[in-house]
Amino acid sequence: MNKKYIWRYNLVGGLMFIMPVLVVFQMVRIKVNPLQVEKLIRVGISFSGEYRFYTPARGRIYDRWGNLMVGNKTAYEVGIEIRKVRNPSTIAQTLELVLGLDYADVYAAASLDATETAVYRVVATNVEEEQINQLILLIEQMEELYGSSREKDAPSLSGLTFKPHLQRIYPDNELASNIIGFVNREGVGFYGVEEKYNDLLAGDESFVWIPLHPGRVQELPEIPEGASLVLTIDRAIQRVMERVIDDAIDETGADSGTLIVIDPETGELLALAATKRLNANEYWKYQEVFTDETPFNPIVSQAYEPGSVFKIFTMVSALDSGAVTTETEFIDTGVFEIGGTRIYNWNMGAWGLQNMQGCMQHSLNVCLAWVADQLGPKDFYQYMLSFGFGQLTGVDLAGEVPGRLKAPGDGDWYDADLGTNSFGQGVSVTPLQMVIAASALANQGKMMAPHIVRSVINDGYQHDIEQRVIGMPIKAETAQIISEMLARSLEKESSDALVTGYRLAGKTGTAEIPTQYGYTSNETNASFIGWGPADDPQFLVYVWLEKPKSSQWGSVVAAPVFRKAVEQLVVLMDIPPDDVRSELYGN
Amino acid sequence: MEKIENITQAYSQAPWRKQLQIIGLFSLFLVFIALVAGIYLNVSAQTASTGRDIQYMKGQIETLDREIEDMQSQIALLLSDHVMEKRAQSMGFQPIEMNQSEYLQVSGYQERQGVVLAPYTRQEVLKAPTIPEEYTQPLVDWIKVQLNWISISLPEIVP
Repeated sequence: MNKKYIWRYNLVGGLMFIMPVLVVFQMVRIKVNPLQVEKLIRVGISFSGEYRFYTPARGRIYDRWGNLMVGNKTAYEVGIEIRKVRNPSTIAQTLELVLGLDYADVYAAASLDATETAVYRVVATNVEEEQINQLILLIEQMEELYGSSREKDAPSLSGLTFKPHLQRIYPDNELASNIIGFVNREGVGFYGVEEKYNDLLAGDESFVWIPLHPGRVQELPEIPEGASLVLTIDRAIQRVMERVIDDAIDETGADSGTLIVIDPETGELLALAATKRLNANEYWKYQEVFTDETPFNPIVSQAYEPGSVFKIFTMVSALDSGAVTTETEFIDTGVFEIGGTRIYNWNMGAWGLQNMQGCMQHSLNVCLAWVADQLGPKDFYQYMLSFGFGQLTGVDLAGEVPGRLKAPGDGDWYDADLGTNSFGQGVSVTPLQMVIAASALANQGKMMAPHIVRSVINDGYQHDIEQRVIGMPIKAETAQIISEMLARSLEKESSDALVTGYRLAGKTGTAEIPTQYGYTSNETNASFIGWGPADDPQFLVYVWLEKPKSSQWGSVVAAPVFRKAVEQLVVLMDIPPDDVRSELYGN
Repeated sequence: MEKIENITQAYSQAPWRKQLQIIGLFSLFLVFIALVAGIYLNVSAQTASTGRDIQYMKGQIETLDREIEDMQSQIALLLSDHVMEKRAQSMGFQPIEMNQSEYLQVSGYQERQGVVLAPYTRQEVLKAPTIPEEYTQPLVDWIKVQLNWISISLPEIVP
């Protein structure tokens, strides 16, 4: 070996000795310094995966026949990756031009200095795919023109990123919007089913760890999407009923209107039509649509004095308790005094000798106040409570109010209230409460739990909502008696509610609207409640018109709306006329 | 004494032969190590490659889910009430009036039932075959498990 070059061997040997020593030293240094350990673990974790806020797809909403009423579509979040930004001005100008964003806001976001916390900034959400395509095209063009430029101020959209996500879409626009509600930008449901079932529809939003290491793919989380709902609503019936009530508003000049269709046997709500309606695809126009005090869903959120339609509950309670029978006679002198207050008839007239059929047929306040007096306050209010007045119905819609039923013992209840309550004055109800209470009369005395969701589809399985009886305020025989009484009343009156070929039971209502000075205004709540076919009710319809202008009487403005609704309903529900039904089924 | 030395010398291996044996054994050990390292590398590469495929497919699933949602919404828009009504009117259809219906008794006819979009009851679904641990655990862990297994089994073997 040439001694001249021996230093080289010594150098290599020395390096080979020092390197492992340094490695061991570094290992020891890291091990003994907890801060270093923590930092290195943090760095290691940051490269091994990422935390991501995961929002599962919101569940869909279908009508009872499977028509998609609410779905999802792709929208984009536009953001800026600060570290990659080369020209904030180009980004701000482009987003101002394409998305209409504020130049200063975007410029400020794009000009931030990249730090550990300032990595990414969101500048727009729910951006449509067409706009994203425009941006992609601009990025490509800019890259082609200036991509190779080394000038500091060269135009560049570098740093602009898009992340797809799902947003709500309502294919039928404003159809059934009062029932469905809407979802805001943050993915929170407001009103109707969207609010009531928000947690179920939204699924579990989670902040999850996504490993990037290919050897740890088994750790990728499986996040289930939100549950879907099948409503009891029939889209075709809903559309038709909305048209009927819209036409009624046009014809009568009413401030607002509602029309409810329910299957009294199951408690399934087939249609809930109300004015006003909002196109849920443009939910931000809420304040343009709801300019007055009308609630989003008046069917459950607006309480009012129902007037004469309430008489059916007074009468059926008295019949059920045995306080009166159909043949009980009453001499109407045109006035009845109760609790120091005088009750008069709607026409201020005296109707002479009447039986209970006549009292209902002529809608006599005096007679019904007497009937309530015969029943007595204890039983009267007990019956009213068992019909559900003054309480929530428990329907699965957001924003329900209980109305008000004063009762003996309440500070503001007086003896006279028994008389006025008997014909629907001094008591406030929601349209849905009226429907549920009346459903007992149409369903052999049983009140079914009202519901809007028929099935829930969760985790790949369908679960039907159980139909429940929530009360039986009257006997089945009494229900039949009142149905017969009301059917005869309509026939004898030749009511505008009658539908050729179908025997229906029903009652009109005209209620004065209280003001702070009492019942002084000429404005009324006009309504009609009815069901049919009378011998085997398959639907129950309630119409309420608020402050109609063409006439103040329910028999004039609300009864024809009921007829129009039923004429369409029997076609949509395939209900044959009574004679055909009798011939086909031998009933 | 000299005789014994001669015999020992006669039967002992030549130094070059001993060196060759050592080199051979060392080479065998190297080959074994290279073999194990090669297999380990191969399995690791396959695992990583499959992992990347799975990650890619997960991304594709997300994209497809969004596309499915988009398409379902597109179908819903095309079948929406107002669009269908316009189409029906343009084809000459008119809404039916109450007195235009004719009812017939059809034996065996069942009235329309509500939609069923998913199975009602939770059915027993065959589980996908699980991957044996040998395919997922690191080589060192596998060797440890094997050694443990051997150490547990040995007392049973020894009489």
